[in-house]
Amino acid sequence: MELLNKIFVAPFADMVSAPDFLMQVLWEGLVSGVLYALIALGFVLIYRSSRIFNFAQGIMVVFAALTLVGLHEMGVPAWISVALTLGVMFGLAVTVERVVLRPLVGQPDIILFMATIGITLFLIGFGEIIFGGENKQMITADLGIPTGDVVLEPFGGLLILQHIDITAVVVAGLLVLGLLLFLNRTRMGRAIRALGDDHQAALSVGISLQTVWVLVWFIAGIIALVTGIAWGSRAGVSFALEVIAYKALPVLMLGGLESITGAIIGGLMIGMLEKLFEIYWGGPLLGGNTESWFAYVLALIVLLFRPQGLFGEKIIERV
Amino acid sequence: MKTFTKLTLATALSLGLGGAAMAEGIFAPNLTYRTGPFAATGIPLMNGQKDYMTMLNERDGGIGGVPINFEECETGYSTEKGVECYERTKANAVVTQPWSTGITLQVLPKTNTDMIPILAPGYGFSPMANGKVFQWAFNPPASYWDGASMIMQHIAGGDMSTLSGKKIALLHLDHPFGKEPIPVLEAMAAEYGFELVLVPVGLKEMQNQSAQWLTIRRERPDNVVMWGWGAMNASAIAEAVKTKYPMDQFYGVWWAGHDADLKQVGEAGTGYKSISWSMPQPDAPVMADIKQHVADTGMTEQEDPNSVFYQRGIVISMILAEGIAAAQAEFGTGEINAEQLRWGLENLDISEARLAELGMTGMVPPFSTSCSNHTGHSGAWMLEWDGEKFVQSGDLLQADRSFIEPLELAQSAEYADANAPWPINEDCE
Repeated sequence: MELLNKIFVAPFADMVSAPDFLMQVLWEGLVSGVLYALIALGFVLIYRSSRIFNFAQGIMVVFAALTLVGLHEMGVPAWISVALTLGVMFGLAVTVERVVLRPLVGQPDIILFMATIGITLFLIGFGEIIFGGENKQMITADLGIPTGDVVLEPFGGLLILQHIDITAVVVAGLLVLGLLLFLNRTRMGRAIRALGDDHQAALSVGISLQTVWVLVWFIAGIIALVTGIAWGSRAGVSFALEVIAYKALPVLMLGGLESITGAIIGGLMIGMLEKLFEIYWGGPLLGGNTESWFAYVLALIVLLFRPQGLFGEKIIERV
Repeated sequence: MKTFTKLTLATALSLGLGGAAMAEGIFAPNLTYRTGPFAATGIPLMNGQKDYMTMLNERDGGIGGVPINFEECETGYSTEKGVECYERTKANAVVTQPWSTGITLQVLPKTNTDMIPILAPGYGFSPMANGKVFQWAFNPPASYWDGASMIMQHIAGGDMSTLSGKKIALLHLDHPFGKEPIPVLEAMAAEYGFELVLVPVGLKEMQNQSAQWLTIRRERPDNVVMWGWGAMNASAIAEAVKTKYPMDQFYGVWWAGHDADLKQVGEAGTGYKSISWSMPQPDAPVMADIKQHVADTGMTEQEDPNSVFYQRGIVISMILAEGIAAAQAEFGTGEINAEQLRWGLENLDISEARLAELGMTGMVPPFSTSCSNHTGHSGAWMLEWDGEKFVQSGDLLQADRSFIEPLELAQSAEYADANAPWPINEDCE
């Protein structure tokens, strides 16, 4: 009886009795969700254009953030460091296309996936040699990102909104909007979508596979940099950030690998639901730390009913 | 050129220690974690360890005239890689320094048959203090249970009865290391009437602790005690500031007292405390020797020689060096073996006078070990962040041994039973 109370009554009573705290939980979940969605977008873009599951997206977040901080530590002004980091991410995109992807064109998907694991391991080792393993401080103030917080008192309670988090949500929103416009309204964006829809047909009308691959890897690099700045501002920049990036995997399972909408909605859903579950059910009933597995269980449940994810394409193959 | 040197070093490290055992001298490998999510803690500690041994080799030609072959095997704090490193280095090693409670627990049963002492200063399984049961394991100068006891005494202001009715949150890594203080804190909660709230942080959530700090906000504990390592510490401190938790009610174990973690919040971290069995002493003669023989000759990678963790690394290598020196003196040989080092570690006598001779006065409290006491129980100081650096807060604290010892005896007996047949040193009183 007590168990049933803890599952069906107490959590909702808590929510009603402390609505300010519920709003705080939802806000924290929203911020995490936006960042999960950003990482997932990087995966989706590359997958849509090349059918490659880019395992290196997580380490790209770390690498971009470390490059930015490293350049600034060398005395380069903050915004020039951002420009140079974008240059480095472009160089990485070109190198990956030339050295890794181009020689593997036509190989089975699993080979390309393995190649991205290789890129991950290379970037971990290379990054540690160049930047070291110490936790670094994100150059938040130098970038002009506001610090401090907004304290609200809804329902006579307390709601703290960090300026950094508000900035992250706004910037992520603008980035997603820009991406959608780019993909839908520009020639190159349509080329990316065409490649995702049908490789052979896209090639036959003169779309350059190499150019598109470089472009999507570069866009994934931009997303990685924005994500790295946002996460790094919250908790510092270290190789532990790579682990957070794997949170995008259940987002992809939930939202579908090809769907930009799925990545965004999946990220937001997982971000908010895992926080709600941890605070109101996971902690009191299971001792906490449910965020480590909750997203995967949620994604698996969705896969039972929709194997292609919530927004993925249903593939029907006739035999 | 510096990058090239780093590349060469990385290549050499990644090629493993195949050649290490072939080199002359006493082979004392260190299972390091300079990479991965915990590197922020590991790098300064391992720099300190290495620099002290390099200084001894350069200044004195080693210990007792025998050079120390202080090779590193990188584990990335992974238990699997740590066990692999242990297996790879054990053939000629006189000691193993596992550098993780997880690795220590895996290696612990093997050392009885391999007959290699485990040296785990300030970490590992707390009941290892009982040398009668754990003949090959050493965790000087203080165990985690000692640390938990000293933190609780500081919170209680010396009178444990004042803890009655309080709520204490333990924010801990969900890993053997982070779970280590739970038995002693639970026993204290039962004895002194405070409520213990466990707030675990998963390895994947180290940099995403908003849920944990929401829990802390809801529970409103009187104090938060952090058992954190690596990237977890910096995130927790940032979250504490963000959620406006009173920093003077926030305590950390000695691995959660890294200068760099606090520098990121600066002034806002003022009042945060960390228990520490080591104390940076910038003017200590040993620091001048390290500067002269290691730093000035370009052999160090450490940028801040006065940080808490770097100087703690120096103390850790001093403990090993003293064990080696004691064994050399006892057995009349320079090239000691693992069994002889075990005797040396069991007969450490780090007195005030000896610390003065070593040029390390004030860097660690005096302590000594014996066959039944493999920890030494030196006590520790409370460090407090003043907005710019850690400073000593109050006098040396001592663990309540009368409370901890029965638990140690019970848990070591339980361990021996669970791993029977487990050899017990019956000669040890």
